Amino acid sequence: MRDKMTPVERLDAYARGGAIDRLPFVPIVGNTAARVIGVKVSELRNNGHLLAEAQVGAYRLFGYDNIRIFTDLYVQAEAMGASVTVPDDETAYLDAPAIADISQIKHLRPADPACDGCLPEHIEATRIAVREVGSVVPVTTALTGPFTNASFLVGTENLVRLALKAPSAIDQLCELSLKASIDYADAIIEAGATPSLTDPMSSSTVMSPAGFREFSLPYLTRLIEYLHSREKKVTLHICGKTNRIWKDMVVAGADCISVDNKIDLVEACREVGSSVRLMGNVDPSDVMLLGTPGKVREAVQQCVRQAWQAPKGFIVASGCSLPTETPFENIHAMLDAVRESGFPIPEGRLQEAS
Amino acid sequence: MGDKKQLFQDMSDAVVAMDEERVVALARTVIESKVDVYEAIENGLSHGMERAGQLFEEEEYFVPELLVCSDAMYAGLDLLRPHLTQCEGGSKHKVVIGVIEGDTHDIGKNLVKIMLETGGFELHDLGRDVPAARFVQKAGEIDADIIAISTLMTTTMDGMAEVVKLLEKENLRDRVKVIVGGGPISQGFAARIGADGYAAHAGAAVNVARGLMNGDRAHAR
Repeated sequence: MRDKMTPVERLDAYARGGAIDRLPFVPIVGNTAARVIGVKVSELRNNGHLLAEAQVGAYRLFGYDNIRIFTDLYVQAEAMGASVTVPDDETAYLDAPAIADISQIKHLRPADPACDGCLPEHIEATRIAVREVGSVVPVTTALTGPFTNASFLVGTENLVRLALKAPSAIDQLCELSLKASIDYADAIIEAGATPSLTDPMSSSTVMSPAGFREFSLPYLTRLIEYLHSREKKVTLHICGKTNRIWKDMVVAGADCISVDNKIDLVEACREVGSSVRLMGNVDPSDVMLLGTPGKVREAVQQCVRQAWQAPKGFIVASGCSLPTETPFENIHAMLDAVRESGFPIPEGRLQEAS
Repeated sequence: MGDKKQLFQDMSDAVVAMDEERVVALARTVIESKVDVYEAIENGLSHGMERAGQLFEEEEYFVPELLVCSDAMYAGLDLLRPHLTQCEGGSKHKVVIGVIEGDTHDIGKNLVKIMLETGGFELHDLGRDVPAARFVQKAGEIDADIIAISTLMTTTMDGMAEVVKLLEKENLRDRVKVIVGGGPISQGFAARIGADGYAAHAGAAVNVARGLMNGDRAHAR
Protein backbone atom coordinates (compact mmCIF):
# COMPACT_ATOMS: atom_id res chain seq x y z
CA MET A 1 0.00 0.00 0.00
CA ARG A 2 1.45 3.36 -0.99
CA ASP A 3 0.77 6.84 0.29
CA LYS A 4 -1.12 9.24 -1.95
CA MET A 5 0.15 12.44 -0.30
CA THR A 6 3.56 13.70 0.78
CA PRO A 7 4.03 14.39 4.49
CA VAL A 8 3.97 18.15 3.89
CA GLU A 9 0.72 17.89 1.88
CA ARG A 10 -0.83 15.58 4.47
CA LEU A 11 0.09 17.74 7.47
CA ASP A 12 -1.05 20.94 5.77
CA ALA A 13 -4.38 19.40 4.81
CA TYR A 14 -4.82 17.90 8.28
CA ALA A 15 -4.17 21.28 9.91
CA ARG A 16 -6.79 22.92 7.66
CA GLY A 17 -9.31 20.16 8.30
CA GLY A 18 -9.10 19.03 4.68
CA ALA A 19 -9.12 15.48 3.30
CA ILE A 20 -6.12 13.23 4.04
CA ASP A 21 -5.21 9.71 2.93
CA ARG A 22 -4.23 8.50 6.43
CA LEU A 23 -3.35 9.83 9.87
CA PRO A 24 0.08 11.43 10.21
CA PHE A 25 2.63 9.03 11.62
CA VAL A 26 5.94 9.61 13.43
CA PRO A 27 7.78 6.59 14.85
CA ILE A 28 10.45 8.84 16.50
CA VAL A 29 13.42 7.12 14.90
CA GLY A 30 16.67 7.97 16.67
CA ASN A 31 19.86 5.98 16.29
CA THR A 32 18.00 3.22 14.46
CA ALA A 33 18.87 5.46 11.51
CA ALA A 34 22.48 4.25 11.83
CA ARG A 35 21.24 0.72 11.07
CA VAL A 36 19.49 1.98 7.95
CA ILE A 37 22.76 3.10 6.35
CA GLY A 38 24.93 0.46 8.03
CA VAL A 39 27.18 2.65 10.16
CA LYS A 40 28.00 2.63 13.85
CA VAL A 41 25.93 4.78 16.19
CA SER A 42 28.99 6.72 17.32
CA GLU A 43 29.76 7.78 13.74
CA LEU A 44 26.59 9.88 13.50
CA ARG A 45 27.07 12.09 16.50
CA ASN A 46 29.67 14.49 15.23
CA ASN A 47 29.29 14.10 11.48
CA GLY A 48 26.57 16.24 9.94
CA HIS A 49 26.77 14.60 6.50
CA LEU A 50 26.41 11.09 7.88
CA LEU A 51 23.70 12.08 10.36
CA ALA A 52 21.68 13.65 7.55
CA GLU A 53 22.27 10.66 5.29
CA ALA A 54 21.05 8.31 8.05
CA GLN A 55 17.95 10.30 8.96
CA VAL A 56 16.98 11.03 5.35
CA GLY A 57 17.66 7.37 4.53
CA ALA A 58 15.37 6.24 7.36
CA TYR A 59 12.65 8.60 6.18
CA ARG A 60 12.91 7.24 2.63
CA LEU A 61 12.86 3.64 3.84
CA PHE A 62 9.84 3.94 6.12
CA GLY A 63 7.95 6.92 4.68
CA TYR A 64 6.89 8.57 7.92
CA ASP A 65 5.84 12.19 8.35
CA ASN A 66 8.62 13.97 10.19
CA ILE A 67 12.42 13.85 10.18
CA ARG A 68 14.04 14.51 13.52
CA ILE A 69 17.75 15.23 13.73
CA PHE A 70 18.68 13.61 17.02
CA THR A 71 21.43 11.42 18.46
CA ASP A 72 21.05 11.77 22.22
CA LEU A 73 19.79 14.24 24.82
CA TYR A 74 23.21 15.54 25.81
CA VAL A 75 24.58 17.48 22.85
CA GLN A 76 23.60 20.87 24.31
CA ALA A 77 24.86 20.16 27.84
CA GLU A 78 28.07 18.74 26.37
CA ALA A 79 28.55 21.98 24.45
CA MET A 80 28.39 23.73 27.84
CA GLY A 81 30.99 21.51 29.49
CA ALA A 82 29.27 18.27 30.51
CA SER A 83 31.20 15.15 29.60
CA VAL A 84 29.55 12.44 27.58
CA THR A 85 30.52 8.80 27.09
CA VAL A 86 30.25 7.75 23.46
CA PRO A 87 30.18 3.94 23.15
CA ASP A 88 31.28 2.54 19.80
CA ASP A 89 27.86 1.39 18.68
CA GLU A 90 25.30 2.45 21.27
CA THR A 91 23.58 5.68 22.25
CA ALA A 92 25.81 8.19 24.03
CA TYR A 93 25.18 8.88 27.70
CA LEU A 94 26.09 11.47 30.29
CA ASP A 95 29.33 10.71 32.07
CA ALA A 96 29.62 13.76 34.32
CA PRO A 97 27.75 17.05 34.62
CA ALA A 98 29.43 20.33 33.64
CA ILE A 99 29.86 21.43 37.26
CA ALA A 100 30.17 19.50 40.52
CA ASP A 101 28.30 22.00 42.65
CA ILE A 102 26.49 25.31 42.46
CA SER A 103 29.51 27.38 43.49
CA GLN A 104 30.78 26.81 39.92
CA ILE A 105 27.72 28.19 38.16
CA LYS A 106 29.59 31.40 37.38
CA HIS A 107 31.95 29.46 35.12
CA LEU A 108 29.13 28.30 32.83
CA ARG A 109 28.35 30.00 29.51
CA PRO A 110 25.52 29.34 27.05
CA ALA A 111 26.74 27.14 24.19
CA ASP A 112 27.54 28.71 20.83
CA PRO A 113 25.87 26.55 18.16
CA ALA A 114 28.44 27.72 15.62
CA CYS A 115 31.39 26.16 17.38
CA ASP A 116 30.68 24.27 20.61
CA GLY A 117 30.60 20.47 20.86
CA CYS A 118 28.61 18.58 18.24
CA LEU A 119 26.13 21.42 17.70
CA PRO A 120 27.67 22.65 14.40
CA GLU A 121 27.40 19.13 12.95
CA HIS A 122 23.80 18.77 14.08
CA ILE A 123 23.04 22.10 12.40
CA GLU A 124 24.85 20.90 9.28
CA ALA A 125 22.78 17.69 9.30
CA THR A 126 19.66 19.81 9.62
CA ARG A 127 20.68 22.01 6.67
CA ILE A 128 21.40 19.00 4.45
CA ALA A 129 18.14 17.23 5.33
CA VAL A 130 16.15 20.40 4.62
CA ARG A 131 17.92 20.82 1.28
CA GLU A 132 17.36 17.21 0.23
CA VAL A 133 13.81 16.50 1.34
CA GLY A 134 12.52 19.58 3.14
CA SER A 135 10.02 20.34 0.39
CA VAL A 136 8.17 17.08 1.01
CA VAL A 137 8.71 16.30 4.70
CA PRO A 138 9.02 18.60 7.72
CA VAL A 139 12.51 18.53 9.20
CA THR A 140 12.85 19.03 12.95
CA THR A 141 15.88 19.08 15.22
CA ALA A 142 15.72 17.97 18.83
CA LEU A 143 15.94 20.76 21.39
CA THR A 144 16.28 19.84 25.07
CA GLY A 145 14.12 21.83 27.50
CA PRO A 146 15.81 24.29 29.90
CA PHE A 147 15.05 22.33 33.08
CA THR A 148 16.31 19.04 31.64
CA ASN A 149 19.43 20.70 30.28
CA ALA A 150 20.01 22.27 33.72
CA SER A 151 19.89 18.77 35.22
CA PHE A 152 22.72 17.71 32.91
CA LEU A 153 24.76 20.77 33.88
CA VAL A 154 24.73 20.14 37.63
CA GLY A 155 23.69 16.46 37.83
CA THR A 156 20.14 15.21 38.11
CA GLU A 157 20.27 14.25 41.77
CA ASN A 158 21.90 17.55 42.65
CA LEU A 159 19.29 19.48 40.72
CA VAL A 160 16.27 17.83 42.32
CA ARG A 161 17.76 18.37 45.78
CA LEU A 162 18.27 22.03 44.92
CA ALA A 163 14.54 22.25 44.26
CA LEU A 164 13.99 21.82 47.99
CA LYS A 165 17.24 23.19 49.40
CA ALA A 166 18.45 26.07 47.17
CA PRO A 167 15.77 26.99 44.63
CA SER A 168 17.51 30.18 43.45
CA ALA A 169 20.40 28.10 42.05
CA ILE A 170 17.92 26.26 39.83
CA ASP A 171 16.73 29.57 38.45
CA GLN A 172 20.27 30.54 37.49
CA LEU A 173 20.88 27.20 35.77
CA CYS A 174 17.55 27.29 33.93
CA GLU A 175 18.13 30.89 32.86
CA LEU A 176 21.48 29.90 31.35
CA SER A 177 19.94 26.85 29.69
CA LEU A 178 17.10 28.95 28.30
CA LYS A 179 19.58 31.35 26.72
CA ALA A 180 21.46 28.38 25.22
CA SER A 181 18.19 26.81 23.99
CA ILE A 182 17.14 30.04 22.28
CA ASP A 183 20.52 30.40 20.56
CA TYR A 184 20.37 26.79 19.38
CA ALA A 185 16.75 27.23 18.27
CA ASP A 186 17.82 30.24 16.19
CA ALA A 187 20.48 28.16 14.46
CA ILE A 188 17.97 25.35 13.80
CA ILE A 189 15.44 27.79 12.36
CA GLU A 190 18.06 29.48 10.21
CA ALA A 191 18.99 26.04 8.86
CA GLY A 192 15.37 25.78 7.66
CA ALA A 193 13.97 23.41 10.30
CA THR A 194 11.71 23.48 13.34
CA PRO A 195 12.97 22.77 16.87
CA SER A 196 11.26 19.77 18.49
CA LEU A 197 11.14 20.17 22.25
CA THR A 198 11.86 17.35 24.64
CA ASP A 199 11.94 17.82 28.40
CA PRO A 200 12.05 14.47 30.22
CA MET A 201 13.05 15.86 33.63
CA SER A 202 9.78 17.79 33.81
CA SER A 203 7.99 14.43 34.10
CA SER A 204 5.87 13.71 37.14
CA THR A 205 7.84 10.47 37.32
CA VAL A 206 10.60 12.73 38.68
CA MET A 207 9.24 16.10 39.82
CA SER A 208 6.01 16.89 41.59
CA PRO A 209 3.49 18.86 39.51
CA ALA A 210 4.07 21.76 41.92
CA GLY A 211 7.84 21.51 41.43
CA PHE A 212 7.36 21.42 37.66
CA ARG A 213 5.25 24.57 37.82
CA GLU A 214 7.77 26.37 39.97
CA PHE A 215 11.05 25.37 38.31
CA SER A 216 10.45 24.22 34.76
CA LEU A 217 7.25 25.76 33.46
CA PRO A 218 8.37 29.42 33.49
CA TYR A 219 11.35 28.63 31.24
CA LEU A 220 9.42 26.27 29.02
CA THR A 221 6.80 28.98 28.55
CA ARG A 222 9.41 31.59 27.61
CA LEU A 223 11.08 29.20 25.18
CA ILE A 224 7.77 28.37 23.51
CA GLU A 225 6.86 32.06 23.34
CA TYR A 226 10.13 32.67 21.56
CA LEU A 227 9.53 29.83 19.08
CA HIS A 228 6.07 31.22 18.39
CA SER A 229 7.58 34.65 17.77
CA ARG A 230 9.65 32.93 15.06
CA GLU A 231 6.39 31.49 13.69
CA LYS A 232 7.14 27.91 14.60
CA LYS A 233 4.59 25.43 15.92
CA VAL A 234 5.84 23.61 18.98
CA THR A 235 5.68 19.90 19.73
CA LEU A 236 6.53 19.17 23.35
CA HIS A 237 7.50 15.70 24.51
CA ILE A 238 7.70 14.87 28.21
CA CYS A 239 8.40 11.25 29.16
CA GLY A 240 6.72 9.21 31.87
CA LYS A 241 3.72 10.37 33.83
CA THR A 242 2.31 13.73 32.72
CA ASN A 243 -1.44 13.58 33.33
CA ARG A 244 -1.28 16.04 36.21
CA ILE A 245 0.66 18.60 34.13
CA TRP A 246 -1.11 18.38 30.74
CA LYS A 247 -3.02 21.55 31.41
CA ASP A 248 0.23 23.33 32.29
CA MET A 249 1.80 22.07 29.06
CA VAL A 250 -1.13 23.67 27.27
CA VAL A 251 -0.70 26.90 29.24
CA ALA A 252 3.00 26.86 28.30
CA GLY A 253 1.79 27.19 24.73
CA ALA A 254 2.54 23.78 23.21
CA ASP A 255 0.69 23.18 19.94
CA CYS A 256 1.18 19.42 20.12
CA ILE A 257 1.81 17.27 23.17
CA SER A 258 3.70 14.02 22.66
CA VAL A 259 2.89 11.52 25.41
CA ASP A 260 4.65 8.47 26.82
CA ASN A 261 3.24 4.95 26.51
CA LYS A 262 2.48 5.04 30.24
CA ILE A 263 -0.31 7.52 29.44
CA ASP A 264 -3.96 6.67 28.84
CA LEU A 265 -4.74 8.28 25.46
CA VAL A 266 -8.46 8.30 26.15
CA GLU A 267 -7.88 10.35 29.27
CA ALA A 268 -5.48 12.67 27.38
CA CYS A 269 -8.09 13.26 24.66
CA ARG A 270 -10.75 14.01 27.25
CA GLU A 271 -8.57 16.36 29.30
CA VAL A 272 -6.68 18.36 26.67
CA GLY A 273 -7.68 17.02 23.25
CA SER A 274 -9.78 20.12 22.59
CA SER A 275 -6.84 22.43 23.26
CA VAL A 276 -3.83 20.75 21.66
CA ARG A 277 -2.95 18.13 19.11
CA LEU A 278 -1.87 14.82 20.69
CA MET A 279 0.88 12.48 19.61
CA GLY A 280 1.58 8.97 20.88
CA ASN A 281 1.99 6.40 22.21
CA VAL A 282 2.99 2.89 21.13
CA ASP A 283 5.33 1.27 23.69
CA PRO A 284 8.86 1.65 22.27
CA SER A 285 10.31 -1.19 24.30
CA ASP A 286 7.76 -3.96 24.90
CA VAL A 287 5.96 -3.53 21.59
CA MET A 288 8.41 -1.94 19.14
CA LEU A 289 11.71 -3.49 20.27
CA LEU A 290 10.52 -6.83 21.61
CA GLY A 291 7.12 -7.34 19.96
CA THR A 292 6.08 -8.97 16.69
CA PRO A 293 4.56 -7.11 13.70
CA GLY A 294 1.19 -8.53 14.82
CA LYS A 295 1.60 -7.03 18.27
CA VAL A 296 2.66 -3.70 16.71
CA ARG A 297 -0.44 -3.66 14.54
CA GLU A 298 -2.71 -4.26 17.54
CA ALA A 299 -1.00 -1.51 19.52
CA VAL A 300 -1.32 0.98 16.64
CA GLN A 301 -4.98 0.13 16.15
CA GLN A 302 -5.63 0.67 19.82
CA CYS A 303 -4.00 4.14 19.72
CA VAL A 304 -5.92 5.08 16.58
CA ARG A 305 -9.18 3.85 18.08
CA GLN A 306 -8.58 5.87 21.21
CA ALA A 307 -7.51 9.16 19.69
CA TRP A 308 -8.30 9.57 15.99
CA GLN A 309 -11.26 11.80 16.70
CA ALA A 310 -9.35 14.17 18.98
CA PRO A 311 -10.64 17.66 18.10
CA LYS A 312 -7.19 19.21 17.57
CA GLY A 313 -5.84 16.19 15.78
CA PHE A 314 -3.76 13.14 16.49
CA ILE A 315 -0.41 11.84 15.26
CA VAL A 316 0.35 8.15 15.61
CA ALA A 317 3.77 7.87 17.24
CA SER A 318 5.90 5.83 19.58
CA GLY A 319 5.74 6.83 23.24
CA CYS A 320 9.42 7.84 23.16
CA SER A 321 12.43 7.53 20.84
CA LEU A 322 12.71 4.02 19.43
CA PRO A 323 15.53 1.85 20.77
CA THR A 324 18.40 1.53 18.28
CA GLU A 325 17.81 -2.16 17.59
CA THR A 326 14.08 -1.88 16.88
CA PRO A 327 13.44 -4.36 14.02
CA PHE A 328 12.69 -2.64 10.70
CA GLU A 329 9.73 -4.97 10.16
CA ASN A 330 8.10 -3.53 13.28
CA ILE A 331 8.47 0.04 12.00
CA HIS A 332 7.03 -1.03 8.65
CA ALA A 333 4.19 -2.81 10.47
CA MET A 334 3.45 0.35 12.43
CA LEU A 335 3.12 2.39 9.26
CA ASP A 336 1.14 -0.31 7.42
CA ALA A 337 -1.37 -0.39 10.28
CA VAL A 338 -1.83 3.39 9.99
CA ARG A 339 -2.24 3.14 6.19
CA GLU A 340 -4.78 0.33 6.48
CA SER A 341 -6.87 2.40 8.86
CA GLY A 342 -7.36 5.11 6.25
CA PHE A 343 -8.98 8.42 7.17
CA PRO A 344 -11.56 9.13 8.35
CA ILE A 345 -11.70 5.69 9.94
CA PRO A 346 -14.74 3.76 8.69
CA GLU A 347 -16.95 2.41 11.44
CA GLY A 348 -16.05 -1.16 12.33
CA ARG A 349 -12.56 -1.15 10.82
CA LEU A 350 -10.81 -1.03 14.18
CA GLN A 351 -13.30 -3.10 16.12
CA GLU A 352 -11.79 -6.57 15.90
CA ALA A 353 -9.24 -6.13 18.68
CA SER A 354 -11.43 -4.19 21.06
CA MET B 1 7.26 4.29 78.12
CA GLY B 2 5.31 7.16 76.63
CA ASP B 3 8.31 9.48 76.24
CA LYS B 4 10.21 6.96 74.19
CA LYS B 5 7.27 6.31 71.94
CA GLN B 6 6.80 10.04 71.43
CA LEU B 7 10.49 10.47 70.64
CA PHE B 8 10.35 7.80 67.95
CA GLN B 9 7.20 9.32 66.51
CA ASP B 10 8.90 12.73 66.41
CA MET B 11 11.89 11.24 64.59
CA SER B 12 9.61 9.54 62.11
CA ASP B 13 7.71 12.79 61.56
CA ALA B 14 10.92 14.78 61.11
CA VAL B 15 12.11 12.35 58.40
CA VAL B 16 8.77 12.69 56.61
CA ALA B 17 8.97 16.49 57.00
CA MET B 18 12.48 16.44 55.41
CA ASP B 19 13.75 18.28 58.50
CA GLU B 20 17.36 17.18 58.73
CA GLU B 21 18.26 19.49 61.63
CA ARG B 22 15.42 18.18 63.74
CA VAL B 23 16.33 14.55 62.98
CA VAL B 24 19.89 15.25 64.10
CA ALA B 25 18.69 16.96 67.29
CA LEU B 26 16.36 14.06 68.09
CA ALA B 27 19.12 11.53 67.42
CA ARG B 28 21.27 13.40 69.96
CA THR B 29 18.42 13.17 72.45
CA VAL B 30 18.29 9.40 71.86
CA ILE B 31 21.99 9.08 72.63
CA GLU B 32 21.96 11.43 75.65
CA SER B 33 18.92 9.88 77.24
CA LYS B 34 20.30 6.37 76.61
CA VAL B 35 17.22 5.23 74.73
CA ASP B 36 17.69 1.96 72.83
CA VAL B 37 19.45 2.99 69.61
CA TYR B 38 18.30 0.01 67.59
CA GLU B 39 14.68 0.76 68.46
CA ALA B 40 15.17 4.42 67.55
CA ILE B 41 16.43 3.42 64.11
CA GLU B 42 13.66 0.88 63.55
CA ASN B 43 10.72 2.79 64.98
CA GLY B 44 11.90 6.31 64.30
CA LEU B 45 14.15 6.71 61.22
CA SER B 46 13.15 3.63 59.21
CA HIS B 47 9.53 4.14 60.14
CA GLY B 48 9.65 7.69 58.77
CA MET B 49 11.40 6.57 55.59
CA GLU B 50 8.80 3.86 55.01
CA ARG B 51 6.08 6.47 55.37
CA ALA B 52 7.92 8.68 52.86
CA GLY B 53 8.06 5.67 50.52
CA GLN B 54 4.32 5.26 50.96
CA LEU B 55 3.76 8.93 50.07
CA PHE B 56 5.95 8.39 47.00
CA GLU B 57 3.76 5.46 45.93
CA GLU B 58 0.69 7.61 46.42
CA GLU B 59 2.26 10.39 44.29
CA GLU B 60 2.16 12.86 47.16
CA TYR B 61 5.95 12.82 47.25
CA PHE B 62 8.20 12.74 44.20
CA VAL B 63 11.90 12.06 43.61
CA PRO B 64 13.18 15.30 45.22
CA GLU B 65 11.11 14.81 48.37
CA LEU B 66 12.13 11.17 48.75
CA LEU B 67 15.81 12.06 48.34
CA VAL B 68 15.67 14.85 50.89
CA CYS B 69 13.79 12.59 53.35
CA SER B 70 16.60 10.08 52.91
CA ASP B 71 19.21 12.80 53.52
CA ALA B 72 17.50 13.47 56.86
CA MET B 73 17.29 9.77 57.66
CA TYR B 74 20.95 9.15 56.87
CA ALA B 75 22.02 12.18 58.94
CA GLY B 76 20.29 10.56 61.94
CA LEU B 77 21.65 7.13 61.07
CA ASP B 78 25.24 8.42 60.92
CA LEU B 79 24.89 9.65 64.49
CA LEU B 80 23.18 6.56 65.87
CA ARG B 81 25.10 3.78 64.12
CA PRO B 82 28.31 4.08 66.20
CA HIS B 83 26.18 3.45 69.29
CA LEU B 84 24.77 0.16 68.03
CA THR B 85 26.18 -2.93 69.69
CA GLN B 86 27.54 -5.52 67.28
CA CYS B 87 24.91 -8.23 67.47
CA GLU B 88 21.85 -6.04 67.18
CA GLY B 89 19.74 -6.55 64.14
CA GLY B 90 21.11 -10.03 63.48
CA SER B 91 22.47 -11.01 60.09
CA LYS B 92 20.92 -9.25 57.14
CA HIS B 93 20.23 -10.44 53.63
CA LYS B 94 22.85 -9.06 51.28
CA VAL B 95 22.02 -7.23 48.07
CA VAL B 96 24.42 -6.23 45.30
CA ILE B 97 22.92 -3.28 43.45
CA GLY B 98 23.93 -1.19 40.44
CA VAL B 99 23.02 0.41 37.13
CA ILE B 100 23.95 -1.80 34.18
CA GLU B 101 26.78 -0.88 31.81
CA GLY B 102 25.94 1.81 29.26
CA ASP B 103 23.72 3.82 31.58
CA THR B 104 24.50 6.44 34.18
CA HIS B 105 20.95 7.29 35.29
CA ASP B 106 21.22 6.30 38.93
CA ILE B 107 18.40 8.08 40.73
CA GLY B 108 16.12 5.06 40.42
CA LYS B 109 18.85 2.75 41.67
CA ASN B 110 19.57 5.10 44.58
CA LEU B 111 15.92 5.18 45.58
CA VAL B 112 15.73 1.38 45.53
CA LYS B 113 18.91 1.24 47.59
CA ILE B 114 17.47 3.63 50.18
CA MET B 115 14.23 1.70 50.44
CA LEU B 116 15.98 -1.69 50.69
CA GLU B 117 18.31 -0.38 53.38
CA THR B 118 15.33 1.00 55.20
CA GLY B 119 13.68 -2.40 54.80
CA GLY B 120 16.55 -4.13 56.62
CA PHE B 121 18.77 -5.33 53.80
CA GLU B 122 22.55 -4.93 53.64
CA LEU B 123 23.40 -3.08 50.42
CA HIS B 124 26.57 -3.26 48.34
CA ASP B 125 26.38 -0.49 45.77
CA LEU B 126 28.46 -0.90 42.60
CA GLY B 127 27.34 2.49 41.27
CA ARG B 128 26.46 3.13 37.65
CA ASP B 129 27.70 1.91 34.28
CA VAL B 130 28.51 -1.52 35.81
CA PRO B 131 29.57 -4.43 33.53
CA ALA B 132 27.50 -7.62 33.93
CA ALA B 133 30.53 -9.60 35.10
CA ARG B 134 31.12 -7.19 37.96
CA PHE B 135 27.68 -7.91 39.48
CA VAL B 136 28.39 -11.63 39.41
CA GLN B 137 31.92 -11.30 40.75
CA LYS B 138 30.77 -9.13 43.66
CA ALA B 139 27.86 -11.44 44.46
CA GLY B 140 30.27 -14.39 44.65
CA GLU B 141 32.73 -12.41 46.77
CA ILE B 142 30.26 -11.41 49.48
CA ASP B 143 27.91 -14.40 49.17
CA ALA B 144 25.00 -12.14 48.18
CA ASP B 145 21.37 -13.23 48.34
CA ILE B 146 20.14 -10.82 45.70
CA ILE B 147 21.45 -8.94 42.68
CA ALA B 148 19.36 -5.84 41.89
CA ILE B 149 19.91 -4.29 38.46
CA SER B 150 18.50 -1.04 37.15
CA THR B 151 18.43 0.78 33.84
CA LEU B 152 16.53 3.68 32.34
CA MET B 153 17.69 3.02 28.82
CA THR B 154 16.21 0.59 26.33
CA THR B 155 19.69 0.38 24.85
CA THR B 156 21.16 -1.41 27.86
CA MET B 157 18.50 -3.97 28.68
CA ASP B 158 20.53 -6.83 27.18
CA GLY B 159 23.17 -6.41 29.88
CA MET B 160 20.60 -7.56 32.42
CA ALA B 161 20.12 -10.83 30.57
CA GLU B 162 23.89 -11.20 30.53
CA VAL B 163 23.99 -11.13 34.36
CA VAL B 164 21.55 -14.06 34.54
CA LYS B 165 23.58 -16.01 31.96
CA LEU B 166 26.84 -15.40 33.82
CA LEU B 167 25.31 -16.55 37.11
CA GLU B 168 24.35 -19.80 35.42
CA LYS B 169 27.81 -20.22 33.98
CA GLU B 170 29.41 -19.66 37.39
CA ASN B 171 26.98 -22.10 39.03
CA LEU B 172 25.68 -19.33 41.27
CA ARG B 173 22.18 -19.16 39.83
CA ASP B 174 20.62 -21.26 42.63
CA ARG B 175 22.14 -19.11 45.34
CA VAL B 176 21.45 -15.63 44.07
CA LYS B 177 18.08 -14.12 43.17
CA VAL B 178 17.97 -11.46 40.46
CA ILE B 179 15.58 -8.51 40.51
CA VAL B 180 15.34 -5.92 37.75
CA GLY B 181 13.68 -2.55 37.35
CA GLY B 182 13.75 0.82 35.60
CA GLY B 183 11.85 2.79 32.97
CA PRO B 184 11.74 0.39 30.01
CA ILE B 185 11.69 -2.81 32.10
CA SER B 186 8.46 -4.76 32.45
CA GLN B 187 7.31 -7.97 34.09
CA GLY B 188 7.37 -9.57 30.66
CA PHE B 189 10.98 -8.58 30.09
CA ALA B 190 11.98 -9.85 33.55
CA ALA B 191 10.38 -13.20 32.82
CA ARG B 192 11.97 -13.39 29.37
CA ILE B 193 15.52 -13.00 30.67
CA GLY B 194 14.89 -15.38 33.57
CA ALA B 195 15.05 -12.83 36.40
CA ASP B 196 13.34 -13.80 39.66
CA GLY B 197 11.54 -10.56 40.28
CA TYR B 198 10.50 -7.23 38.83
CA ALA B 199 9.67 -4.09 40.76
CA ALA B 200 7.72 -1.29 39.11
CA HIS B 201 9.00 1.28 41.61
CA ALA B 202 11.30 1.71 44.60
CA GLY B 203 8.66 0.93 47.21
CA ALA B 204 7.72 -2.31 45.45
CA ALA B 205 11.35 -3.47 45.40
CA VAL B 206 11.24 -4.08 49.16
CA ASN B 207 8.20 -6.36 48.86
CA VAL B 208 9.72 -8.22 45.93
CA ALA B 209 13.01 -8.72 47.80
CA ARG B 210 11.28 -9.85 50.99
CA GLY B 211 9.05 -12.20 49.02
CA LEU B 212 12.07 -13.80 47.36
CA MET B 213 13.81 -14.26 50.69
CA ASN B 214 10.67 -16.01 51.92
CA GLY B 215 10.89 -18.40 49.04
CA ASP B 216 8.30 -16.95 46.65
CA ARG B 217 9.02 -16.17 43.06
CA ALA B 218 7.65 -12.74 43.71
CA HIS B 219 6.19 -10.36 41.20
CA ALA B 220 4.86 -7.63 43.43
CA ARG B 221 4.04 -4.38 41.78
